[in-house]
Amino acid sequence: MIRLESITIKEFRGIRDMTLDFKGKNFAICGPNGTGKSGIVDALEFALTGTVSRLSGEGSGEVSLKAHGPHVDSRAAPDKARVAVKLTIPSLGKTITVERSVKAPGSPRVTPSDAGVLDVLRQVESHPEIVLSRRELIRYVLATPGKRAEEVQALLHLDQVDRVRAGLQKIANACERPLSGLGTSAADARANLLRALGIAELTKDKVLAATNAQRATLGLLALTELTDTTSLRDGLATARAAEPQRISKIQALADIRAAREVLAEIVSITITARVVDAEADVRALATDPEVATGVAQESFYVTGMGLIANHACPFCDSAWDLDDLRRHVQIKIDHLKEVSRRRQAAEAKAEPLVALLRKIQSALDFLVRYGDLARPPLTIQTVRDHSVSCAITATTLAAFLPLADTIAALATVSTVPPAVLDAVAELEKVVSELPEPTKQDSAREWLSVAQERLEVYRSAMRQHKTAKEQAQRARQVSDIYSITSDKVLVGIYADVQRDFASLYGFVNRDDEDKFKAQLVPSMGKLGFDVDFYGRGFFPPGAYHSEGHQDSMGICLYLALMRHLQGGGFSFAVLDDVLMSVDAGHRREVCTLLKTEFSNTQFIMTTHDPIWLRHMKTEALIGNRAAIQFKGWSIDQGPAQWDERDVWAEIGDYLKQNDVRASAGLLRHYLEYVAAELCHRLRAQPEYRGDAQYQLGELLPAAIRQMRRLYSLAKDSANSWNQKEVIVDLSVRESSFAALADGSKAEEWQVNVAVHFNSWENLGSSDFAPVAEAFRNLLGGFCCAHCEEFLRVTPDRETCESLRCDCGKTNINLVRKK
Amino acid sequence: MTGSPIREEAPDVPTQVFEKFLEALTGANIPAEVVARLKKALVEDKTFTDRALKAAVLSDEPLL
Repeated sequence: MIRLESITIKEFRGIRDMTLDFKGKNFAICGPNGTGKSGIVDALEFALTGTVSRLSGEGSGEVSLKAHGPHVDSRAAPDKARVAVKLTIPSLGKTITVERSVKAPGSPRVTPSDAGVLDVLRQVESHPEIVLSRRELIRYVLATPGKRAEEVQALLHLDQVDRVRAGLQKIANACERPLSGLGTSAADARANLLRALGIAELTKDKVLAATNAQRATLGLLALTELTDTTSLRDGLATARAAEPQRISKIQALADIRAAREVLAEIVSITITARVVDAEADVRALATDPEVATGVAQESFYVTGMGLIANHACPFCDSAWDLDDLRRHVQIKIDHLKEVSRRRQAAEAKAEPLVALLRKIQSALDFLVRYGDLARPPLTIQTVRDHSVSCAITATTLAAFLPLADTIAALATVSTVPPAVLDAVAELEKVVSELPEPTKQDSAREWLSVAQERLEVYRSAMRQHKTAKEQAQRARQVSDIYSITSDKVLVGIYADVQRDFASLYGFVNRDDEDKFKAQLVPSMGKLGFDVDFYGRGFFPPGAYHSEGHQDSMGICLYLALMRHLQGGGFSFAVLDDVLMSVDAGHRREVCTLLKTEFSNTQFIMTTHDPIWLRHMKTEALIGNRAAIQFKGWSIDQGPAQWDERDVWAEIGDYLKQNDVRASAGLLRHYLEYVAAELCHRLRAQPEYRGDAQYQLGELLPAAIRQMRRLYSLAKDSANSWNQKEVIVDLSVRESSFAALADGSKAEEWQVNVAVHFNSWENLGSSDFAPVAEAFRNLLGGFCCAHCEEFLRVTPDRETCESLRCDCGKTNINLVRKK
Repeated sequence: MTGSPIREEAPDVPTQVFEKFLEALTGANIPAEVVARLKKALVEDKTFTDRALKAAVLSDEPLL
């Protein structure tokens, strides 16, 4: 995607003015804590994405980019806080500059700017994971399964995938919800139609047979087809408007019988037992105070769980323990899930009661209508009231909450007031006393009622069918999405798991070459277990050391990034990510990055100079592709070790007669340089298990090694009979000896006058020659052309040459065989 | 070590999921117009709202 050529940082975080030249290659930034390494990381992230995750992400509290992005002395001038990066975009063959100011982080100045360039920059902006700290890395490894799934999902941009999944499920659920009610309505309409037709089975032949029998009585043509639009009354003259509608005696008696049947059913032993059963469940639920608000609370807790980040309540600022709080909330969520399960079971028991109550309501409504049609009208108010009561009870049971209302409603389900039965009996008497209709009148009434109920049935069936089709389609779409997305994700996790195990196995091949891992997605969680020496799979934090967990973090990150960005994984910033990994395994990490990610440019920070040396010796970075900070000051920002600056600074202090500062700086620099020289020359100071070497141990060892190397080189040249080389080496050797003698560095242990502890007691004129002697001595370790410190190659086994980076100094150390 | 082969073009994960989903819909008994509407919403417009999804799955049919 991109490669970083350079960065210029002005008045940003702890940096006043700094330019680093990466040259599109791996680069390392080393320095003790508080010297400005992370400021550079922040600047890189800011330049590429317009944000600084440390100032805006989890746990940033009241800190913000706008307020705290600029250097503290420029906090009132965010426009001065600027970062410019020079990038190459290999796919476009272009080199561009991106410059942002904290004042307008979302409006970078891009030069040159075109659609292709802006598209690449948008891609970079959408991948903030290119900058990763150890804190962020380790959370992939040690997070809880739910949290890890979130972290990995965020890295893989799975929020969109989940959003679509939730949306499709919601639609499918919404489509299914009314199906039950519509099905009940259709069944009721069917039962009413069958009753009107006087048949037991709703088949085309039986409907036509029953209808044609009535039509024959009226001399109407027989119907031969029964389609969606067929009218059973076809050919029958419409009743005159003035003519009052009459009760169909036969139909009314059938409907009264049907009403008696459902009223009897609701008070039957079976239904009464069902009501008691449902009521017991609801009463049990009612003892749990969380049921009523369960759904809302569960949703609140689940949302809140994802937002628990800071160490104090955002409302009242009371401190809390994050892990304890998460455990506490998880218990509540689990409890509410159990409540939800019990609630669904109780609702399922209430559902048939709701259907029966609606059936009673429908049956009683017919009776009310017959009462209205009676002459004189028969006011059966108790029937009307009971119909309304059944409707209300059904609605209350269907709503289920509040539970107190449901319990009260259940108590009335199996109650039919005697007055209702009396009113039904009275209506039946009135209808029975109606004169028997003529055959023609009876047939006419039969056809009218049958047609009316057929239309109600057709409408109910249409609605049910449409709803069912929608629900089926929505569910099918949702199911297909779930299956395919799971399949894709499982495939991705399997690839990542394989790649991760392979990368980690490589880094730890000395003892875990057969390492395996399991990334197991399940119900929105992502389990991560790792093999522990063939004894089984366990969470990474169970048995593996912190160092191994660090290795796992970077390997999982690399595997995810390789999958996420493929060939586009061209750039990453690793901020002190391997602090717990031991030296041997860091070397393997170097090899891994160099070989497996050769197309990726890594910018790495570390506080550990030994890790920096590993990066150099393993050729992960070039010898000049690093800076080493010596300190930081609020006025100057990070100070890096630069030989020219050091001697100028020492001279400045001496001019000010500040021997203390001058001596302190020289000693500090010599400590850094002496360690570097021992490393480069493969010198052997007395071994210390704690690696806490003193300057008095390192510098003499480096001098001794340099003398030994010249001796070896002369011996070698002699074996090859290279007389001119011997002469040249002798000159170098004696010159170096003079410089070493001049510094008296080897007399450290016995000569109090040159011991660094006594320097600050010297006067300026006494200390100036000391400083000059050491400057000259260090020059003796350098190539005369490039002025870089010489080094022995290779870095282990037999010493073969003493050389520099420019290649103009290359001294053979191997004898002729 | 047998690392994953590096793919030159790596479509993002949501795009991979959506493309497989649309392929599967085409193979199932889902009307072509529904598939086309979902493709427009997910792949072309990249709109993932409930409203957009509902319109794609049910078109302008009223949700009963």
